[in-house]
Amino acid sequence: MNGLLVLFDLVLLAGIVGVAWRCLASTDLFRAVVLFITFGLLLALAWVRLEAPDIALAEAAIGAGITGALLLVTLERLRSIMAERHTGRPHTPPPDPTGPHALLRALHDPPPERRTFLPALTFALVVGGLLVTALWHQPQSTGLEPVVDAHMDVSGVDHPITAVLLNFRAYDTFLELAIVLIALLGAWSLGRHDLIPARPAPGPILPGTLRLLVPVAIVTGVYVLWAGSHAPGGAFQAGAILGAAGILLVLARPRQLPMAPGAPLRLGLTGGVALFLLVGLYGLVAGHGFLGYAEAWAYPLIILIEVAATLSIALALVALFVAGRPTGDDA
Amino acid sequence: MIANTLTIILILVGLVFFAAGTAGLLRFPDVYSRLHALTKADNVGLGLVVLGLMFQASGPADILKLLLIWVLVLAAGTTAAHMVAQRTWTHGEFESDR
Repeated sequence: MNGLLVLFDLVLLAGIVGVAWRCLASTDLFRAVVLFITFGLLLALAWVRLEAPDIALAEAAIGAGITGALLLVTLERLRSIMAERHTGRPHTPPPDPTGPHALLRALHDPPPERRTFLPALTFALVVGGLLVTALWHQPQSTGLEPVVDAHMDVSGVDHPITAVLLNFRAYDTFLELAIVLIALLGAWSLGRHDLIPARPAPGPILPGTLRLLVPVAIVTGVYVLWAGSHAPGGAFQAGAILGAAGILLVLARPRQLPMAPGAPLRLGLTGGVALFLLVGLYGLVAGHGFLGYAEAWAYPLIILIEVAATLSIALALVALFVAGRPTGDDA
Repeated sequence: MIANTLTIILILVGLVFFAAGTAGLLRFPDVYSRLHALTKADNVGLGLVVLGLMFQASGPADILKLLLIWVLVLAAGTTAAHMVAQRTWTHGEFESDR
């Protein structure tokens, strides 16, 4: 039985490396994106084999699913930009290779002649050698598992991963939430989006499935959020599921998407980070340290932060997918 | 014992469907026949695997969760196959950039 598992691991590893290589080496961007999604799913399997179901869930939902959708929509927009450039101005001089459009141009030109692999090979060997040396000299240690186990009773939750993420190492999670928000601010600073018209549905199948899937996704998202306190799950995974439901709606849009009202949208987007920060500051004032909780208050505070974070993550993912601030929103 | 045997048999038969579906996806000549092969793997193959796993479930909640997974994959797979087929019908076969 163990031999079979080793065989499975080896095949999985070979698959991950092979798909990653094909993804990087592909000159066809669409194929590269599809391979990237495949890579994410294989990586999620690897996390399952490493007995880290929380990371596997996050990888499958965010790494493969949402990032894949973002890359696909980016590719579609790139193509329409390229088409405009080709039909709109047929006699423009070739753009400056270092100018702002150099990237777009590079994407559309045939790849240069094959160069020598020597620098890349040397780099890979040196970095690989350093990594192997570092692993070799790793001190004998049991890791942080016993430490976490010993403090589970004061964490406020029953699932060690959630205890680490939202109590023992809360500032990591706090900064992750902040990064999602900053990414959205970056996207919003680049442009605005107009009213998004309805997309004529090709038959009744898509709207019908949507009506079936979106409520199920909402229930699943809330369940995964709730499960986070005692089993694999939590804000990021739940946020990704709810965000995926939103992205499905944006993609299929059986009717014109309403403009999101400015103030509630901003409140929802920043709610996770703001609430986390407020609780953290209160902990500082009350003498538990920044992002520390009183033991009796740990559970309700963690649940409160997780709910706000889930909403913020879901909203931010959909807003990132739509990209750009809503037009006429100058609040 | 009987449950384990049933699990193994059902999952093996399911895997046969997956293998056949994958072979069809790789070897069939056009989009419609590829979709035909693929959806068989999704629907019947996954159905058999899920049925096999139900014999290992610890309670009715697990069985229902497995059933839900199958139903969701059925709905998503059917819709995706329908949309790919419809797009091909109206726009012709998908052509990549290169």
